[in-house]
This record gives sequence, structure tokens and C-alpha cells, in this order.
Amino acid sequence: MEGKQILHGPVIRTADTTKRIMWDVVLALIPAWIAGVIFFGVQAVWIVILSTFTAVITEALILRYPFTLKTIFGDGSSVVTGLLLGLILPSTVPWWIPIIGSVFAIILGKLIYGGLGNNIFNPALVGRAILALGFTSHMVKYAAPFDAVTQATPLMVMRKFDWSLIWGNVGGCIGETSVIAILLGGLYLFYRGHIGWRIPLGCLVTAFATAWLWGLDPWMAVTAGGLLFAAVFMATDMVTSPVTPMGRLLFGCGCGFLTIFLRRFTAFPEGVTFAVLIMNAVVPLLDRLTVPVIFGASKSREQRFRTTAAVVVIIIIAGCVLAVINKNVPEHKMTAAEGVYLPLAETLGSEDYQLATIEDKVYYYVGDYEAPEKVGFIGSEQGYHGPIYFYLVVDGSGSILHLQILSHSDDPGLGSLVTRDTFLDQFIGLNYENDLTLGADVMGVTGATISSRAVISGINTELQRFITAFYGDNEKEEPIKWIDGVYAGQANSFGGIMQVEVTIGDGRIADVKILEHQDTVGISDEAILLIPERIVTANNPDVDAVAQATVSSKGIIAAVKDALSKAAVSDLESDAVSGKGAQ
Amino acid sequence: MLLKTFPRGGSDIPQRKEATKNKAIAVCPAPKRAVISVNQHIGTPCEPVVDVGDSVKIGQKIGESAAYISAPIHASVSGEVVGIEDYTVLDGTKARCIVIENDGLEQLYAGESSDYTKMSPQQIVLVIKDAGIVGMGGAGFPTHVKLSPAKPVDTVIINGAECEPYLTCDHRLMVQQPAAIIDGLKAMMKALGAKRGIIGIENNKPDAVKIMKNMADISADISVVPLKVKYPQGAEKQLIKAVLEREVPSGCLPAEVGCIVSNVHTAVSVTEAINQGIGLYQRVLTVSGSLIHDPRNVLVRIGTPIKQVIDFCGGMIKPPPVVIAGGPMTGKPIVDLSAPVVKCLSGILVLREDEIDFERNDPCIRCARCVDSCPIGLQPNFLADLCEKGLIETAEDYHIMDCIECGLCSFICPAYRGLCNSIKKGKTALKMKKSVG
Repeated sequence: MEGKQILHGPVIRTADTTKRIMWDVVLALIPAWIAGVIFFGVQAVWIVILSTFTAVITEALILRYPFTLKTIFGDGSSVVTGLLLGLILPSTVPWWIPIIGSVFAIILGKLIYGGLGNNIFNPALVGRAILALGFTSHMVKYAAPFDAVTQATPLMVMRKFDWSLIWGNVGGCIGETSVIAILLGGLYLFYRGHIGWRIPLGCLVTAFATAWLWGLDPWMAVTAGGLLFAAVFMATDMVTSPVTPMGRLLFGCGCGFLTIFLRRFTAFPEGVTFAVLIMNAVVPLLDRLTVPVIFGASKSREQRFRTTAAVVVIIIIAGCVLAVINKNVPEHKMTAAEGVYLPLAETLGSEDYQLATIEDKVYYYVGDYEAPEKVGFIGSEQGYHGPIYFYLVVDGSGSILHLQILSHSDDPGLGSLVTRDTFLDQFIGLNYENDLTLGADVMGVTGATISSRAVISGINTELQRFITAFYGDNEKEEPIKWIDGVYAGQANSFGGIMQVEVTIGDGRIADVKILEHQDTVGISDEAILLIPERIVTANNPDVDAVAQATVSSKGIIAAVKDALSKAAVSDLESDAVSGKGAQ
Repeated sequence: MLLKTFPRGGSDIPQRKEATKNKAIAVCPAPKRAVISVNQHIGTPCEPVVDVGDSVKIGQKIGESAAYISAPIHASVSGEVVGIEDYTVLDGTKARCIVIENDGLEQLYAGESSDYTKMSPQQIVLVIKDAGIVGMGGAGFPTHVKLSPAKPVDTVIINGAECEPYLTCDHRLMVQQPAAIIDGLKAMMKALGAKRGIIGIENNKPDAVKIMKNMADISADISVVPLKVKYPQGAEKQLIKAVLEREVPSGCLPAEVGCIVSNVHTAVSVTEAINQGIGLYQRVLTVSGSLIHDPRNVLVRIGTPIKQVIDFCGGMIKPPPVVIAGGPMTGKPIVDLSAPVVKCLSGILVLREDEIDFERNDPCIRCARCVDSCPIGLQPNFLADLCEKGLIETAEDYHIMDCIECGLCSFICPAYRGLCNSIKKGKTALKMKKSVG
């Protein structure tokens, strides 16, 4: 008789348990994963498995003793966290990135607050934020689909609406690129009642409107990058979103607005992570502000007024922020990285430009392909913290007409100084004859030496690629400087004489061998290893020295030059040889 | 056709009415001993008006109270009063009961048969009061009190929603005794001076809708409204909102918006009371669940032991984890199967272990399903949390007293939290606190 009193209340319950919901979310994420694997290859399988596995193990170790197959997965929420985190990583990250991310996501994102249901922030996004801040360079290397070459995401290369964005065969994170796959998962969750329309639609519509107000491409803003994935899977995380209907709508709108805001005004090409995290922090406030008016409430008018007033105030504040910021940001500062299209028509002087993909690189050109008038392209180079993306327009001869920095991860006030016009304007009119050098052709920016150097180096590389791409055949006709054969050379280096052997084949430097040197083992190793390779690749002895082994590097370079001087042809011979080569 | 329903919250829940919905009402034999509780209604318990040794007839008044909010009780068998003692009732507590030994003669009390058309409104209310009629859908609120509202009432709504899973007794009454329902409705309309009568029926009972419509067509002032199947469609305020588009203000009775709601069975009982002139002594209830051999709707004397009713339905297949009084959503476990049937018992459910889900109180994942489905617009997760922490004053600010205890929040919670129970406890604590200070 006693002890049975606990059974009051409903004795039947829904079949949709927490566990069921979690596994449904896992199911809904599968299409995005499959899309990622199709586009980015087997790498995408391993990263997601690693992150998921780590998340499950981390949570199990802390919470689920004794371990059995049943307890280890618990309520399934760690699988969801791991899966989500894996899917928002680029496929190019090293193997330890998903592991670190998952450990942080589970411990700092969830368990530290008291476990499932108590966490304030979306655990997967906590993991991603930590990775984005701690390992920036790894997190922004987006692989182009179908190969492992890093590529700018569509947000960096905005042009016209592109169906590939819908399928997802564009650069980006594993699970974020395919609109179709994400919508498939989202519709399933909606059908199962696990997500409502308020958060995803609120988020997407607001992002669309904000982008449109700011003159960005609104379709691009919602389909490219991680916004859609976040709107469907991240912002809708039950634990970290409001419980009231109005609260959820405002939450969604906030995520959408902040995403576009962050894309536009910060260095992060992808603002959605921090947008959702910021909104997560606002959830208790939203819940408070939007307590539903109860059935038959006598005070309903007052309450309704309060809610409406809160919404209106938020919209007005957002609108003011929009207006003020919009006014204070000069138009031409808009960059692709911040979610703006490339000013192709403006810089190329015509709407009528064409597109050529040469060796995985996209060139936008005006005029004849054989003799283009203007050519625009994006380049990148590793800066101080991460890659610097820039947009370059040159004329047919390779003279620089336009240069702008699209995005960088370098420090504000230091590396970021390279975005200044005073620095960039120096490049206008320079031609690619020899490599541009810091100090001679272009003055660097104080406080941003490394970034300056990176920009120059990147431009050199890109100009060279451009010349090869468009005038590749002509380049082969350049005078052959060396006669085939094997030549010895020597020079003074750190520890003594450095002896090298240079092989010339087909008029090019085919091989560089270090025969003998007395330099310190350990310190000089890297120079011995790298410099010959660099010289062969560049077909030129003037290559960058290896840091920490500058003297050895220079020694090798000098020795190679010595050898090459023996191989050099006279002017007469040169004509003869090149004539022969041209046939 | 877009069916009417209440706009806010609610949810689809399993119906599980197949087992009994097409089974005609069977008559359960009268018990050898009828045990009649003095407290079968909301309000003051009755005082016995018979003594041990007295001989009583079916429908004879055996207890009443001078208090306004109360309802008299009547003998359900003819025979001798053998005891007035404490007896275990449905909820497991002890209550004072009048025990009558059945003499098997089945003598009806000689009541004064009459016709509502020839009675004054006051007479109708008086007959209903004397018959001890209460809300038979489960609430047990004395009907005569409802029929004496403080504000004018223009509409009487008959609640034929029967939104609880398993239960089909109202359904069967609508199919088998439509005339009695219409008469009961008309009597109540007359008592209130109401111009309009509406019968709201959930659309999962198309046969009932059809039959009631045919009956209602005879009277110009009565209409039948089919309703969308959505729990808790049968909750008073939700039903009014659905059929009349009127919203009963928080803390008020339906009369505030000019209507009252009465259950189908109550209407039938009103008709019987008027026609026979004797007290309420039997009712129809549904005995169902997968552990019942022969689930059916049965007409049972008040005071029959639950066990006898179950045995009449073929008994139980195996010992159940729990037997439930009422529907699975708002019903309560029956602790002792010797407890007697009371006026407001609408069903007896015997469910298998795997059909029952106990409270598990997993962590709340803030899925907001309770908020979305609450028909009142409360935040059950938040309220339950406040109640568990003892912050009942704060809970009051968040309208805890508006909770209708439909149990949907607990049903829908994926973490199987006992939200409704916590809120009920909080409400009880708040009421106690108020009554004390």
C-alpha cells in the first residue's frame, strides 16, 4: 500500500525520449556528413569519427563508470556534440584538431556546467571557438572539393549565385557546404518535431535582410558558409536556446543579424560561431522578457505591451546600429572576406568579364584570353597568424592595377596595417619583371613587417602564376642561361668550405647536391635539406634563407651561384641554344 | 472542414479507445455490499442520515450536508445499513463510508417522477441537488452549484470531448442514450434560462457526432460541434474557447463569460433524476487496458468494489504494476482494489508494465515541449523547478494556480520529468499556506 504513491500524474508518456531525440539529430546529420565525404574525400570520414569518438570517450570517462556498450553512449548527447564539432571543421585539419576540440567541447562546453541541460553555450561551438582562437591557421584552410588544395570559401570569393553552393561542392567545412544535405536533415528534425520554424527561419530571414540592407548578396549570405548549418543544427540546440516561443524567434533573429554583422566587421570570415555563442549568453534574458501571456490572463494587455515593446526596442536598437555603422564604413572597404562580393565589375572596368580556371585557380578576365586587357584573381600567403587573402587586378602585361586585402587573421593595429591604402597604393603600377622586394620596390609597414613581407611574397607568387597561366608558352622561350651538365661550386659557409654539385638538365637546374660542408650539425640541417630543393623548384639560386640557419643557407646559395657561373652561356650561345629550344 | 479547437498548446496523444468504443454498455451486477463514501464530490462531506440497522432502498438519501457546496449521497442497493466506518477509498486514504448489505430485492425508492418541461427552474435545481448529481467527468463539482451562477448564463455546453485515452463511457452514452443527454441539456438550460445548448464532441467519435446531430436537429436551440482531436480538448476552459471563442479569465468560473460546461454523463444523470425522482446511484464507466480480459463499458452501482467491476470484465490477465482510476493522463493509481466506485470515477485501467512509463526525472534539456503544449501558456519546466525548490510564491507570480493539471507537460517531457506532479504539490502547498495565513 505504501510506496506506490509516486505514480500520480500521467502514467503514459511520449515515446520521444531524450535519447530518441539525440539519435534523431545524429540521423539528421548523416546527409551533411555524406555530402562532406563526397566532396572532401576520406579525410572527412576520419575527422568526424575522431571528433565523435573523442567526445563519447571523454564524457564516458568522466560520467559513465562502469563502462558498458550501453552506458558509454549515455543519452547520446555526446555523440551529437562530437558529430556536430566534426562537421564544422575543415577537412584539412590535422588529426589532433578534432580530438582537442571534442575534449574542450565536452568538458568546457558541457560537463563543467553540470552536464546535459545545464550548459549555457552550445558545446560544439565552444569547441570550435577554442580551436578557431587557438589554432586559427588550421581552421581557415578550407579544402576545395575533390582534392586537398586549400581554397578560399565562397564567402571569400563571392561572385554570382552558383548552383554548386546548393549541392555543396565548394570550399568550406565538412558538413557546412551542402545546402541540400543540411535542409534534408533539417526537414527530418522539423517533421519529428525536434526543431521549430522560429529559430531557423528567424535566423535565415534576418541574415538575408541584414545582408540585403548592407548591400551584400543576400542569397550568398544564407547559402554560403556555416550559417545554414548553424541555423538548422546549432542555434536550434534545445539546451542553449530559449523556451518561450517569442524568445526563440528573437534568438533566431539575433543569430542571423550577428552572423552578418561579424562577417562584415571582424576578421573572421565565418561569424556564425560567435553569433550563436553570444546569443546563447542572452537566452536567460530572452526567456525572462518573453514570458508567454497565459490563457485568460487579465493582465494580458499590459504583458502583451511589454513583450511588444521589448521586441520593438530591440529592432530599433539593431536598426540604429545598422544605420550608424553603415554610414561610417566607406563603401570600398567592403571585402569578400566580410561577406561582400568581389568588386569585379568595378575593378575590371566591365560587367562583361569571363572566367578561366587554370590549375585550380580562378581568373576573371576582360578581353581575349590570348591577350587579356585586365585580369583579376585572389591570392593568399601565410601571414603572422594565418593566411592573408588579397585580390589583385593586373593588366595584360602584368602591371598591378588594383590591390586589396580581403581577409587576414593578423593582429589589429599591427599586421592589420597592411590593409592601409598607403601601403597598398605602392604596388599600383609595379610590373612583374623581377620579384618585388621589400625596401626596394615597396616600403613595408612598421609594426607589420611579417605581414608586409607576406603580402609581397604572395603577390610575387601570384604574378608568376598569372604569367605562367596566361603566357606559359612564351615563358619557355626565355633565354636559356645554362648549358646542360654537372658543375661543382664552392663558397665559404659557417663552418668552412661548402661544396656543391649542380646538375643542369634541359637548361634548368635539375639537381643540387651538397658534397661537403663543415657547418654545425643540427643547426644547419634544415638549410642542407631545404635550400637545394628550393633552388631546384625556383630554378634560381636566389631563394629565401632558412631561419636559424641563415649563414648555412647563404653558403649554399653562394656555392650554387659559383657552380652556375661555370654553366652560364655566352650571349651568342644563348641565342643559338634558345633558337634550338624553340623548335 | 476545419474543425474547431482551442488555439493554444495541446497535443496529439494516443487514443487507444478501440477496445471498448464499439461495445454496448453492460450492466454489472449489484454488489453484495455497497460501500458509499460520504465524500464523493468537491465540497463539504456528507453527514449520514441513516443509522446502522436501518433498512434502505435504491436511490434513497443516506447522507447530506447543510453546506451549500456539497452533494447528498444515496443508497445504491436495497438492504440494511451494516456499518458507518472508515474505509480505504480510491486514493488509498481512509474515508468515512456507509456500508449497506444488499438484500437482493432491488427495491427502488419511491421517488416522484416528473418532467422538466413542467417544472420551474428552481424546482429543476432542487431536484438535481437532492439527487446528489456532481460533475461526472471526473471533477465531482456539485451540479446544482453550477446551475446557480452569479452571472447570467446564455449557453450550456455539454462536454462530449472525452479526450482521455482509453475512456469510452461518454462515447457510448452519446450513442446509446442521446435523448437522455438532450433532455438533461434542456433541463439545465431551463434551470439557467440559457438560450443555447451546444454539444462539443471530439471528431474521433463520428458515430456519436452523427447520432447527436440527428437528435439536436429537432431543437432549434441545440447544436452539435465536432471538435479536433487534441488533448486536453475536454478541459472546461479549452472547450469553451473552442466552441464559443470565449476565454474564461484567469481565476474565474465559466459563468464569467456566460456559459457553463457539463459532462455528457451528468446530463444523463440529470434526466434520470428528474424522470425517476431518486438519487444518483449508478454510473457508466470504462474498464480497459491490455491486462483486462474483456474490456468493456459497464453500468456500475456506486459503492461497488473495484475488484468486483474488474472481475465482471473477465478479471486481470496477470497482476498489474498498477490499476488506475480514471484516464491515464489525469487518473490516479488505485492503491486498494477493495475501494468502492464513486460518482466521478469514469474508468478503471489495468495497463501492462511496458505501457506505463514512470517518472524518471532525467535532466531537463530545455526542449520547451512543455511550454509549447501547455494549454494555459505556462512554463511547466520553470514552475516545476520553482516548486521543487520551494519557491512557491515566485511560482504564484508565474500563474501556477492557473494550471489545470491536464498532465500534458509530464506526458510530453522527453526526460520523463514529473512536471505535473511537482506543480500539483506546489499548488497544494500554496493553498495550505493561504488557508493558514
